[in-house]
Amino acid sequence: MSETPERKRSEVADVDRSLYDFVMPEEGYERYDDGLTPDIVRAISAKKDEPQWMLDLRLKALDTFHEMRMADNWGPDTSGLDMDHISTYVSPKTKQARNWDEVPEDIKTTFERLGIPEAERESLAGVGAQYDSEIVYHNMREEVAEQGVIYSTIEDALHDPKWEPVVHQYFGTLIPMRDHKFAALHYAVWSGGSFVYVPEGVSLSYPLQSYFRLNASGAGQFEHTLIIVEPGADLHFIEGCSAPKYYEANLHAGAVELFVKDHAHLRYSTIENWSKNMFNLNTKRATVGADAKMEWVSGSFGSHVSYLYPTTILAGARSSCEFTGITFAGATQDLDTGCKVILNGADTTASVDTKSISKDGGVNTFRSSVVIGRKADRARATVSCSSLMLDDISRSDTIPAMDVRNATASVGHEATIGRISDDTILYLMSRGCSEAEARTMVVNGFANPVSKELPLEYAVEMNNLIKLEMEGAIG
Amino acid sequence: MAATKTLAHVNVPAAQTWNYLRINDISFEVPVPTTKGEVLARLPRLFDAVETGVGAEAASWIVSASGDSRYVEVKAGTHRAEPIVIDIDAATGDVRDTGVLVREGAEATVVVAAHGHADEPSTSASLLRIVAERDAVVHLVEIVALGKGAQHLEGVGIDAADGALIEVRQYALGGDKVAVGICTNLAGRSARLVHDMRYIASGSEQLDVNHLARQRGRNTRSEIVTSGILADSAKKTMRETIDLIHGAKGATGNEIETVLVTGDNIVNKTLPTILCDEDDVAGNHGASIGSVSPEQLGYLADRGISTTEAEALFARAIFDDAVIHAPEAISRAAALSRAEEVLGSEIARDVAEGLGLVTDGEDA
Amino acid sequence: MPDTLLSIQGLSAGTEDTPILHNINLSVDAGQTHVLMGPNGAGKSTLGHVIMGDPTFQVTSGSITFDGNDITELSPDKRSLAGIFLSYQAPVEVPGVPLYSFLRTICQMRPELKTTARKFRQRVADICKQLEMDDSFLTRELNVGFSGGEKKKIEMLQLLLLRPKLAILDETDSGLDVDALAIVSRGIEAYRQECDGALLIITHNTRILERLDVDRTHVMVRGNLVGAGDAALIDEIDANGFGRFEAALAAKGGAN
Repeated sequence: MSETPERKRSEVADVDRSLYDFVMPEEGYERYDDGLTPDIVRAISAKKDEPQWMLDLRLKALDTFHEMRMADNWGPDTSGLDMDHISTYVSPKTKQARNWDEVPEDIKTTFERLGIPEAERESLAGVGAQYDSEIVYHNMREEVAEQGVIYSTIEDALHDPKWEPVVHQYFGTLIPMRDHKFAALHYAVWSGGSFVYVPEGVSLSYPLQSYFRLNASGAGQFEHTLIIVEPGADLHFIEGCSAPKYYEANLHAGAVELFVKDHAHLRYSTIENWSKNMFNLNTKRATVGADAKMEWVSGSFGSHVSYLYPTTILAGARSSCEFTGITFAGATQDLDTGCKVILNGADTTASVDTKSISKDGGVNTFRSSVVIGRKADRARATVSCSSLMLDDISRSDTIPAMDVRNATASVGHEATIGRISDDTILYLMSRGCSEAEARTMVVNGFANPVSKELPLEYAVEMNNLIKLEMEGAIG
Repeated sequence: MAATKTLAHVNVPAAQTWNYLRINDISFEVPVPTTKGEVLARLPRLFDAVETGVGAEAASWIVSASGDSRYVEVKAGTHRAEPIVIDIDAATGDVRDTGVLVREGAEATVVVAAHGHADEPSTSASLLRIVAERDAVVHLVEIVALGKGAQHLEGVGIDAADGALIEVRQYALGGDKVAVGICTNLAGRSARLVHDMRYIASGSEQLDVNHLARQRGRNTRSEIVTSGILADSAKKTMRETIDLIHGAKGATGNEIETVLVTGDNIVNKTLPTILCDEDDVAGNHGASIGSVSPEQLGYLADRGISTTEAEALFARAIFDDAVIHAPEAISRAAALSRAEEVLGSEIARDVAEGLGLVTDGEDA
Repeated sequence: MPDTLLSIQGLSAGTEDTPILHNINLSVDAGQTHVLMGPNGAGKSTLGHVIMGDPTFQVTSGSITFDGNDITELSPDKRSLAGIFLSYQAPVEVPGVPLYSFLRTICQMRPELKTTARKFRQRVADICKQLEMDDSFLTRELNVGFSGGEKKKIEMLQLLLLRPKLAILDETDSGLDVDALAIVSRGIEAYRQECDGALLIITHNTRILERLDVDRTHVMVRGNLVGAGDAALIDEIDANGFGRFEAALAAKGGAN
């Protein structure tokens, strides 16, 4: 069951990946049987000592999961994902800590290597760290807590009489369990994640961050993030994810439900660097009130297969949404990413700007939908996506759907696909850059509109990831 | 009532997306062919390999429902002055199956004109497959100008060899439920597609379009421009795909769509797709959907044109364009008679007179 | 000839299917200023690009020696690091890459220019001042959205930063307005004074040469070097055009 902690490394190009690609032993962990049965679902629920309504929801979701099918006319192949060989619950034997010193040594080392405690000291208002199925660390600055901000696990919120009704009121209302097969799976076996509540008018000057690490092999991570930003409040939430590489398939099917109330502002940033054996079938959705603003910044580098389309429902009048995303698909990756925006309120605006890079046989699909409802008078949406092809064995598809039902709405859309021009490479080479440096420079420049939306240390991380991916780009 | 059958997946694009958007296909209820299995004349096998935009299910129904086929060959190096006309009358529920072979270096014009209206709901259809050999030039003009009660299926497939030039002008001017699907296979080196589509849909009309450009050959070019008007409670679905296939080094594909929305209850769906499996290529898409811009309206208002008049002006412009480009009498008459239904007889006459059609008494 | 910096011998080059340059012999000594003139389409720019190593063109015969080393087979970046600079008539836009980051990168990869960020900033600031360039240029993306004159300034800024041994200024298209002309002239002047480098100026616009001490003038017609002389040749061409050279080439039996 446990993995060998020391792994042989012979390839030079592999060394830098060690930042993400290291394995900790799983010894002494609580690991539930592979596969999916009502017993496993009951066991997870019992362990968490949940209210009855949550167990009922889980069992219903399990039925729904068995009943639903993946669409067979679009999307990457998921046949490599065999639920009979995925453990849905793996937990380190530790209590949740509020101090890194209380975190078991191996797990603490993991997060230190990922730079989480350091980032917390320097630039975050609070941190949650999930290891496999459970949150192992959760802490928030005192001054933030004093403003009434709640940042805890959903499990803890469910045990708090003050917050249990709130969770009950919101949980699962934005992403229905019938949304797709893996949303149903999520509700059946969810574990970990975050509950964030920002009271009316409260602005956080630093971001909150949750980091998700899936260490176990052949396991799934199913965290649920529920964020409520009350009227006039302001929050920046950062999500990071990574996992070491295994030969067995891993599965990530989290759910993120974001409630952005009137005049509120939420920025949700993600740097995803799952290992390349991961099936990432994540669902994220936000509903946005009048005059409120939702911003997504999304960098997708990892996973073997991704289905990822953060959705924004602009419900309130004059609400707005900005989506900035980049996806980098390399060898063995089939990444189907994009976003959905539904404009229902009058005078709503949405702007989507995405980039994708395909290399070494990687497959990128940008998929989006912009739906403008009957009542969305004067709604405006723009979608712009550009794709860069770095070689002729990779693939890049752009499939943006639009459905407009209001005569006063306007939609603009532009898409371009191409490669780095020879002229550009020559120009940079004539100033002394090698071909590889020239390419990396152009790709970083291409990604710049996304990285400049990230806090500095994450922008640096993203540039490093690009550099890592670009290594060996030239023969 | 004659027996009907359902064509469940018509106009399926090369790449599909979320099914709940109901944008991946359209279904049609069509009469079960009466001449079951008895096809009078079969097209040469050459045409079996030609992919059409409506999809295999619809294509095979059209072939069996037509019960007959027409084959035209244009000899190498010749310029056929007289257009090859496919005349479809909704009133008699015409279904046509046509194959055109344009030999090396030859030039020809093909016209598909669907017109008329029926008192009872009618179904008409056309399947046109064209093989353009090396350096051939094909001009295709499609005019769908149907009235109330008419549903129509129109599939086109074109194979273009090295250096062939395919010029398409497509006008969707009316019909209760119309599906047009065109697939151009730019198989040869430097084969080119220049595709211009105009449409207008009003009332409760439903227009479903599938444009697919498969770019296989090196240095192939496709330019697809569509523009149209959606009025009243019309529904439109436009699927445009540029498929840059592995090996198509140096290929470029451009598509641009402009939609002018004047109706309060319209449904306007667009799926502009670029598929890219090659690096030395360029694919671009641009779309703009909306009402007449305030700048445009302001300018027109300065010239004394109200918003309503401005919208009428844009509608009329589509008919003007159709009539100008209709290369022969049947298609021209189809466009003009539909103009009368949509714009009223006064403006329709003005359209005709403006082109010198009425005063000359010229009848092509 | 110990002072020979650039030596081109028997060079023929062209694209895959079109020969452009025919048997070119040209040498430039360290610190000298040479001018390459010729009518439109003569192949002047091509020669500049071939010296830089543009893979668009293939060398079919002959060799290029720079600073004592045969560079005929070197890639453009190696030639750049060796000390050759080619200014572009129309510099390529590189979106997302701030000018400052670019300048810093290309300087840090040269051992002779490597310096601390602080000193580097100061150097850049000094040159900007010299070229009357706005500092705000530095945070903008490389060549994106700049006017022709501004792009020209950025090229001159790179020239002065990199201090190449040989600068090839491709000013073939006479699209230079008075301002751009002044910028280029100022850049050349500063380069001559501070770097003591050699110059090969490709132009058919003689105004750019007015304030320069030209050591040698070459004339190219249809891919052939057909004449050479001192600075006086410039005035002659100014007065009489290239007719005499074209006639001479035709008499010799054309351009192959």
